[in-house]
Amino acid sequence: MSEIEDNPIAVDTIAAISTPPGRGGIGIVRLSGPEAAEIGVQLVRLRQPLEHARARLADVLDADGTDAERIDEAMVTYFAAPNSYTGEELVEIAAHGSPVVLELLLRRGLELGARLAEPGEFTQRAFLAGKIDLTQAEAVRDLIDAQTLTQARAAASQMGGALSRRVGPLKQDLVELIALLEAGIDFAEDDVEVTGPDEIARRIGELTPPLEALAGSFARGRIVHDGLTLAIVGRPNVGKSSLFNQLVERDRAIVTATPGTTRDTVSERIALDGIPLELVDTAGLREAREEAEQMGIARSREALADAALVLIVLDSTQSLNAEERELLRAVEGRAALIAANKSDLKSEAAAEMTEFANLPVVATSALTGEGIAELRERIVTLATGGAASEPGMLTSLRHHGAVTTAISALKDASGANESGIPHEMILIDLYRALWALDSLTGQTTPDDILNLIFSTFCIGK
Amino acid sequence: MAAARMGLKTALITMNLDLIAQMSCNPAIGGIAKGHLVREVDALGGIMGEVADAVGIQFRLLNTSRGPAVWSPRAQCDKALYRVKMREVLEGQAGLHIRQAEVVDLVLEEGQGTRDEGHRRVLGLKLRDGRQLLAGATIITTGTFLNGLIHCGEERYPAGRSGEPASVLLGEALRRLGLRTTRLKTGTPPRLDGRTIKWEMFEEQPGDAEPTPFSFRTKKIVQPQVSCHIAFTTPETLRVIRENVHRSAMYSGQIEGVGPRYCPSIEDKVVKFPDKTQHQFFLEPEGLNTHEVYVNGMSTSLPMEVQWQIVRSIPGLDEAEMLRPGYAIEYDSVDATELDRALCVKSMEGLYLAGQINGTSGYEEAACQGLMAGINAALRVKGEPPFTMDRTEGYTGILIDDLISKGTNEPYRMFTSRAEFRLHLRIDNADRRLTPYGRKLGLIGDAAWAEFEQKQARMTALEKLLTAKKADEAGLRAAGLEGLTSVAGQTWAQLLKRPEVKIEPVLLAVQWTGRPGSGAFGAELPEQDPVERAVFRNEARAVETEIKFAGYLDQQRKSIEKLKAAEGVQIPAWLEYRIISGLSREMQEKLERVRPGTIGQASRIPGVTPAALSLVHVSIRVQGARRPKEASLPG
Repeated sequence: MSEIEDNPIAVDTIAAISTPPGRGGIGIVRLSGPEAAEIGVQLVRLRQPLEHARARLADVLDADGTDAERIDEAMVTYFAAPNSYTGEELVEIAAHGSPVVLELLLRRGLELGARLAEPGEFTQRAFLAGKIDLTQAEAVRDLIDAQTLTQARAAASQMGGALSRRVGPLKQDLVELIALLEAGIDFAEDDVEVTGPDEIARRIGELTPPLEALAGSFARGRIVHDGLTLAIVGRPNVGKSSLFNQLVERDRAIVTATPGTTRDTVSERIALDGIPLELVDTAGLREAREEAEQMGIARSREALADAALVLIVLDSTQSLNAEERELLRAVEGRAALIAANKSDLKSEAAAEMTEFANLPVVATSALTGEGIAELRERIVTLATGGAASEPGMLTSLRHHGAVTTAISALKDASGANESGIPHEMILIDLYRALWALDSLTGQTTPDDILNLIFSTFCIGK
Repeated sequence: MAAARMGLKTALITMNLDLIAQMSCNPAIGGIAKGHLVREVDALGGIMGEVADAVGIQFRLLNTSRGPAVWSPRAQCDKALYRVKMREVLEGQAGLHIRQAEVVDLVLEEGQGTRDEGHRRVLGLKLRDGRQLLAGATIITTGTFLNGLIHCGEERYPAGRSGEPASVLLGEALRRLGLRTTRLKTGTPPRLDGRTIKWEMFEEQPGDAEPTPFSFRTKKIVQPQVSCHIAFTTPETLRVIRENVHRSAMYSGQIEGVGPRYCPSIEDKVVKFPDKTQHQFFLEPEGLNTHEVYVNGMSTSLPMEVQWQIVRSIPGLDEAEMLRPGYAIEYDSVDATELDRALCVKSMEGLYLAGQINGTSGYEEAACQGLMAGINAALRVKGEPPFTMDRTEGYTGILIDDLISKGTNEPYRMFTSRAEFRLHLRIDNADRRLTPYGRKLGLIGDAAWAEFEQKQARMTALEKLLTAKKADEAGLRAAGLEGLTSVAGQTWAQLLKRPEVKIEPVLLAVQWTGRPGSGAFGAELPEQDPVERAVFRNEARAVETEIKFAGYLDQQRKSIEKLKAAEGVQIPAWLEYRIISGLSREMQEKLERVRPGTIGQASRIPGVTPAALSLVHVSIRVQGARRPKEASLPG
């Protein structure tokens, strides 16, 4: 039964961020398929109704419902089928390139029923709709080709991989439950015992917690996959660049005793405990003395706004100034921590910092290296929300979607079982869960189920 | 039969006129999933259901403890009567000429010139007496006769069925044609003399008080009804089998064919499930005018004296006499991936195959193929496009799609778990799904069509009534549903969605009378004929099903749309898999072997990945765009 779900030409709606990852001037989330418009209008608050080939202003909201707040402004362009790039209903939402906003739009689109597009899928649809010519089609074929290779590699690594090892036994339990119920239906005339509701409930009950734990591992898993940006901010000459160099373990940023040395942002990719981290060293925040520094400070503020994590560097020998207080207030509620630097010198500001006790504070000395190990640990904790590293965690939105689908299907099956719904309908929910897990580890065919039945039960007369 | 009914001059050639429709296994029609197939054959205008209804001596609707989608009728038939009745119906068909002869070869026309090289057309048949029979289309249905070989212990001899010769010459002829063939195996149990069985020692299994007929057109069950009996093996039975298992043809290495796992021999069950201390079997009468009893569940290829010991090891059979021993039979089948969806051999124009020759097992699986092959052979002669059924329309479509996409390495039997859209493919709506096709094909007569339309109108009326009418106090009282809570403003249809509310009392509440001339369901019912009652109740339950399980049905309906979309993308015959870059050799071979007709079918070939499908999909356009240019090149 699973092939239907896997079918690549099924008439579903696909969605993807169709601009390169990272910060750009404009980022676009694109939806294509029969429900593109229907989903699209729910992602934003439009100021005018959609009209073919017209750009419309809209607000991007931080949540559903009436008390949602506006977090960005976007242009929404709708193309009615067949007059679109893909020949299907097509909606493009152009927002201000912040990865956070784009990802929010995408995830809400997926929640509303769109499917994450495969690489090259928009182009493939365009080709199949006759919208692009043969030469372009060859390129599509290469894309699919590449996709095949990637998939093969991914499958190979997954085959012996930790994720399969984790999902495999759960799937096996699910297949066994399905086989039990199927045997009871197809071989009711044989000597097969009918599985009772208590047994079904027990088996579903055993499957759910491990799947929920797996879904929970996504918080860290996704970070491992995508990485995070950490902005190092603070007033001039508190030792941001020295800390940056300590963290990247080489002299990347220029360090002088002169305040305001760092004029532009400097960034470097490192891995902390397996998490890819983009460290951004920024110009010190103060009233700029000259134009170049002014531009540097503007970029610092931009980096601060975009980063998922913020490391505020304070000079522990000095009291907080107005700019620092302002900065600490600005990061309230965000993933941030404080490095109280220059701990090798006499501390003056320690008491004052407890005012911001909700932020973790690490005493560091960029000079001696003291506290750097602890700082690394604290950054990892901050990045993962405390989730520990575990084998076989979920790293992609697609995987996470599959596991949550399986959980919700099992919940439906459990409810159906409680209300005494016949087995062949409970099975619809169970198969939905199975197909979801299939998309992580490979397809289960009806023959696989029959094989299990024949090897488990003495069937036949 | 179908071809004759479609107005064509049709010849039926059989090796023995007296043994048309001889039931070689147990004389039972239907069963889970198989009953669905019989209903589909009937809905299309086939005759199996009506004949089985006419000669059925025990009817049971199976699986009624589950939901309506998996209810399935089964009937024990009178073996001799089935044959007689079937011949009567066949002989009554205008345009159908029945002849006794042995077919030994095909008359072929080989393709001439470069274009048609290797392409062959079947013009007819050669008979053993030297005559040729030419026809616009030819259907071969060889059952277990094709190079049939019976095994009974160490003994073995060529045969098509117990006491009947095998079809050896045709078997050789088909092998020469170069079609891929495999050896399959099936078996039967011993038959006992009912007068020597101590019936009181076994649990009786009576038929349904209100028999559910197979055919939508059957009004009455005419044969007297009898019971079957349930029995179990003893430790002594298992000991006898274990000690002699090496003498079974299955275990001595004498049999090369692959047997069905769902219908194992008794020795297989004992060996493969050593922990099971007893095995169930059934004692089934073979007819009203015979004492012969079929021991269902005891299929075996052990030597005759061991079979005798096994029978005697069971209390109640300790004095039983064995009339015929069980045996295993091996036969040839053709790899069904050689066929297209119309059951026509792809490399041989005008040749259709149906039944065991395609790797299936069972009367019902054979019947639906015979009907589809007959219809398509007739359409070919008439110059009309083939009639095919997809997986969303019926079990028949699933069976054919499975066979032509995957082939089979054991005798293929239908199971409900093979159906993706099980909830929609029910016995109660087989007519709604297929009878309009049967009518269009000319297989449904005016009277049957009028009845079909009336039934649909009745069901629509009931559904409307339930959806429109609000539950009132009097109605709830009449239905005995006073205990229901929050009923204010609810229609009966809304109440029916609750698991605890059933249709029967609701019919009383809304005073549904169903058919003209009959009383309301319930109090006045016993006056009706039991069959009429069963039909009436099943009709109401069909309406209940659509209301009660609307959510699940909708969910499957969405999947059906997706499948339909995939089936809508045709793969043209000229597509060359070997020049599709990026398609692995393994994938190319798989696709080349089956040459699927649609992307949907390609997706069901084992091992074909979604990425490969994308490549095929894109390549249809790419190669298609290049074609006109190449065609215009000289040579």
